[in-house]
Amino acid sequence: MNALDLKLTRNLWHMRGQVFAIAMVLAAATATFVLSMGTYRSLVDTRDAYYAQSHFADVFASMTRAPRSIVDTVGQIEGVQRAEGVIQQYATLDFPDRNIPVRGLINSVDENGRTRLNQIVLREGRMPRAGEPGEVVVDELFALANGLGPGDSVEALIYGSRQRLDIVGTGLAPNFIYALPPGDIIPDDERFGIFWMGRKALEAATDRTEAINSISITLERGASEPEIIRALDRILEPYGGLGAYGREDHLSHAFLDNELMQLDAMTRVIPPVFLLVSVFLVYIVLGRMIRTERTQIGLLKAFGYSSRQVGMHYFKFALVIAMLATVLGSLAGIWMGHGMTELYASYYRFPFLNYNISPGVFLGAAALSTGSAALGALAGMRSAIRLAPAVAMSPPPPPVYRAGIVERLGQRAGFSAIGHMIVRHIARWPGRSAMTILGVALSLGLLFSTVQFIDSSRNMLDSYFFRAQKQDLSVSFTEARNEDVLFELAQIPGVQRVEGTRAIAAQMSNGNLTERTALESAPENSILTARIDSSGAEIDMPISGLMLSRQLADQLKVGAGDSVYVEMLGGRRTARMMPVASIVDEFIGARAYAGPATLEELVRDRAPFATALLRIDPLFRDDILTELKEMPVVLGVTERDAALVKFEEMIDDNIFTMIFFYIAFASAIAVGVVYNSARILFSERAHELATLRVLGYHRTEVGIVLLGELALLVIAAVPLGCVIGYWLAQLMTTMFSSDLFRLPFAPNRATYGYASLIVLFSALGTAALVALRVLRLDMVRVLKAHD
Amino acid sequence: MEAGQAELAFRGVGLRKIYVTGETEVHALRGVDLAIHPGEIVVLLGPSGSGKSTLLNIIGGLDRPTEGELFHFDTQLTGIAEADLTRYRRENIGFIFQFYNLIPSLTAEENVRLVTDIAHDPMEAREALALVGLSDRADHYPAQLSGGEQQRVAVARAVAKRPGILLCDEPTGALDSQTGVRVLETLVRANRELGTTVLIITHNVGIAAIAHRVLHFLDGQIARVVENDTQIEPVEITW
Repeated sequence: MNALDLKLTRNLWHMRGQVFAIAMVLAAATATFVLSMGTYRSLVDTRDAYYAQSHFADVFASMTRAPRSIVDTVGQIEGVQRAEGVIQQYATLDFPDRNIPVRGLINSVDENGRTRLNQIVLREGRMPRAGEPGEVVVDELFALANGLGPGDSVEALIYGSRQRLDIVGTGLAPNFIYALPPGDIIPDDERFGIFWMGRKALEAATDRTEAINSISITLERGASEPEIIRALDRILEPYGGLGAYGREDHLSHAFLDNELMQLDAMTRVIPPVFLLVSVFLVYIVLGRMIRTERTQIGLLKAFGYSSRQVGMHYFKFALVIAMLATVLGSLAGIWMGHGMTELYASYYRFPFLNYNISPGVFLGAAALSTGSAALGALAGMRSAIRLAPAVAMSPPPPPVYRAGIVERLGQRAGFSAIGHMIVRHIARWPGRSAMTILGVALSLGLLFSTVQFIDSSRNMLDSYFFRAQKQDLSVSFTEARNEDVLFELAQIPGVQRVEGTRAIAAQMSNGNLTERTALESAPENSILTARIDSSGAEIDMPISGLMLSRQLADQLKVGAGDSVYVEMLGGRRTARMMPVASIVDEFIGARAYAGPATLEELVRDRAPFATALLRIDPLFRDDILTELKEMPVVLGVTERDAALVKFEEMIDDNIFTMIFFYIAFASAIAVGVVYNSARILFSERAHELATLRVLGYHRTEVGIVLLGELALLVIAAVPLGCVIGYWLAQLMTTMFSSDLFRLPFAPNRATYGYASLIVLFSALGTAALVALRVLRLDMVRVLKAHD
Repeated sequence: MEAGQAELAFRGVGLRKIYVTGETEVHALRGVDLAIHPGEIVVLLGPSGSGKSTLLNIIGGLDRPTEGELFHFDTQLTGIAEADLTRYRRENIGFIFQFYNLIPSLTAEENVRLVTDIAHDPMEAREALALVGLSDRADHYPAQLSGGEQQRVAVARAVAKRPGILLCDEPTGALDSQTGVRVLETLVRANRELGTTVLIITHNVGIAAIAHRVLHFLDGQIARVVENDTQIEPVEITW
């Protein structure tokens, strides 16, 4: 090792606190990058592997009833690799101790207890045996949520008749990664479960001997999905086909896809911002650190080292920091990423986990850290290298101070000499002070823009649950009903208002753009539902024509005044061109609405009700729920407040876990920046501080000079940081919005306070660390340093 | 304790100072006994590394001896708490260094106020500056002053609190002869008018002639003490 490298290792060791702090800033950004890239990729890999292994189908269709032989006909369609027909039947489950109805979706499996497509992964127990009519496998999460397992049994009301279901196993299937109860937008494991039952037994229970009501197919490579869907629709039409659809419209897949897209959006938006900010911070901090090495640079050049050699020396310094950051960041990223992916995998009901990060991610992380560290080193060296050795070696001349405007004010305010020292030092180095302020402000901004995602989600919930849904209960029916059922519900004591809503599956197209959705309609004078746009205003339903959500309108590339072709997938299967009357900026989903008159005109029928919304007297809640549970037409009941809690939990699990890590990293960056600023300030002023001590100032008084300046800079950084944060948050929210999911930009005032507090606390903590240095200040040595 | 000893401004007994750097020990002071009378001007002479600065730092409360005892009148300085040592400096000591050690962000007057702000019975900052002939430069920052002017500000800063003791480490080391004389004159004036005890470290043998006593240092010990029967004025020094 040559002398210069020895100096390098000593310097690194000597400045280990600062080296570590810079490495921490870079490592936080690296970890964010590795964590994000790793988690999203691993989840997608896991999902794809799961789909492939379990033969998740490509196209799905359901119908009222079709002979089993139709499966062979479907199998003949060109491009179809494999087709399979099953029975799917909703059932009400009886848990005597609960008054909220529990629902199940029972799927048939063949006589060997298998399906060929959408295969079940058995988690416990065994599959149902032929000739044992009551045996079922139940989905694992429902079993866990309800404390069920092999050997237990539940009473079920299937197709009007009671039957005991004996659980012989638990399992998972790729078509029910998300098990959504009909009419709900979130899974509820406690109240909705998936069951698998022997084919013969389910045929008997549902009176569908040698018949099916659902078909799944896989496609050959290169087959055209739209063509096959059209062919399938033609075959199934006589059997009450409800329209075939591909994976992107499959409820579970679409939901999972949406969740993964949010994760992907978050991982695409946040880490680059982290990296950019930390590159800039390292540029500032490292540059300033090297500038304090001025004398040594002069000395090296006086010895005959070339500028290039000196430059290389400091580049290596930066390189070591970058390597440290890459290793620390990657390890943290892998460790957290693995935990995170595991968490998601269990949440998404994946039976296994493929966690892997491609080497490219690490290479990218290393390149990014090295690049930013090198840039920072370069900035610091440039001015130092330009100096002639003799000039560089002598201490810089005393800087020229002048009384500025702030000063004159200070004079009038009667500042002490110490007060003048603080203010003038800031004013004398406006660039340097501005950089410190900017650095702290950026880390605050980063923190703020990350934390505000929580506000954003909460705001979305607020507009969806509190403003758009004003009912207490929503009741879904086993099959669509006419007005009679609404009167029946209104008779229950404690029910204050009943509104029926309609939702009919429909396909909308504009040219060759086609989207599957449901056309929803609420009564004309509805007070239990509202359409809320992104600015929070209530939007009236147009008298004629359709109202589309912004997402759907964007997908179909239509605006108000255009027309779309609407094909109803239920009822009389009517189809016609409809004008788009208005667009509503909603946050969730791609949806379409029509007034009741428009809907009737379109379906040429009094369309039946799929759901009823109830407002109730809370005192009667339990009685009403018990009553509803006894009504055979009622499939399920959703309490709005319970759904809100579920939704919050889901967002907590999905988004907050990730956000939590980001917040931790943003805090680490804030600590790193503040610590380094304080350290550099200390080394710049050590001489003055020692002088004060010699003159008889106590340690605490000397500490005020240093910490006073730091405090002023940090305090100045807070409002700026809030402004930067506001701007970053706006940028991130815009980048975050995808076709399927939009977030409102609605930072909470408390979030400014929260982000500021974290920065102030980290400033306080690092200030305490630096204050320890003031305590240990060796007066004699510092003053001697001039000789 | 012998009579009269309590009246000594400083009394040191067996002062030793050992600096340990890594595995080597440097014996900066090897058993120094010391008696400084109040109102004396004492010059410390000797080659580099002979222990002058170490002794001055210990007397000034910037450093502590490894061994031995030091009294300021009847106050023992060895073994007192750090905060007490700071208070001792604040109340009794004025320092003057070769490289001024002014705060660049403060004007001449404010540099002096740095001391008068915390002293017991200080003079006005302007008064102290007048003493060194810098009244008209009071609002200048160090960068706007010559080396000699900066050192005079440092002197004003040191005398402004009316300290009992002035400790000067090479106060003229960075100055030309003319400016050096002005600085020394201020020190002598403080000694005569305020009764301040003055200790001066110097390499300039000529300066020894203004002292009442001269301590010659060699290898961490006081090799000999010379008493001057008469003192010359700073202007008379052959530089």
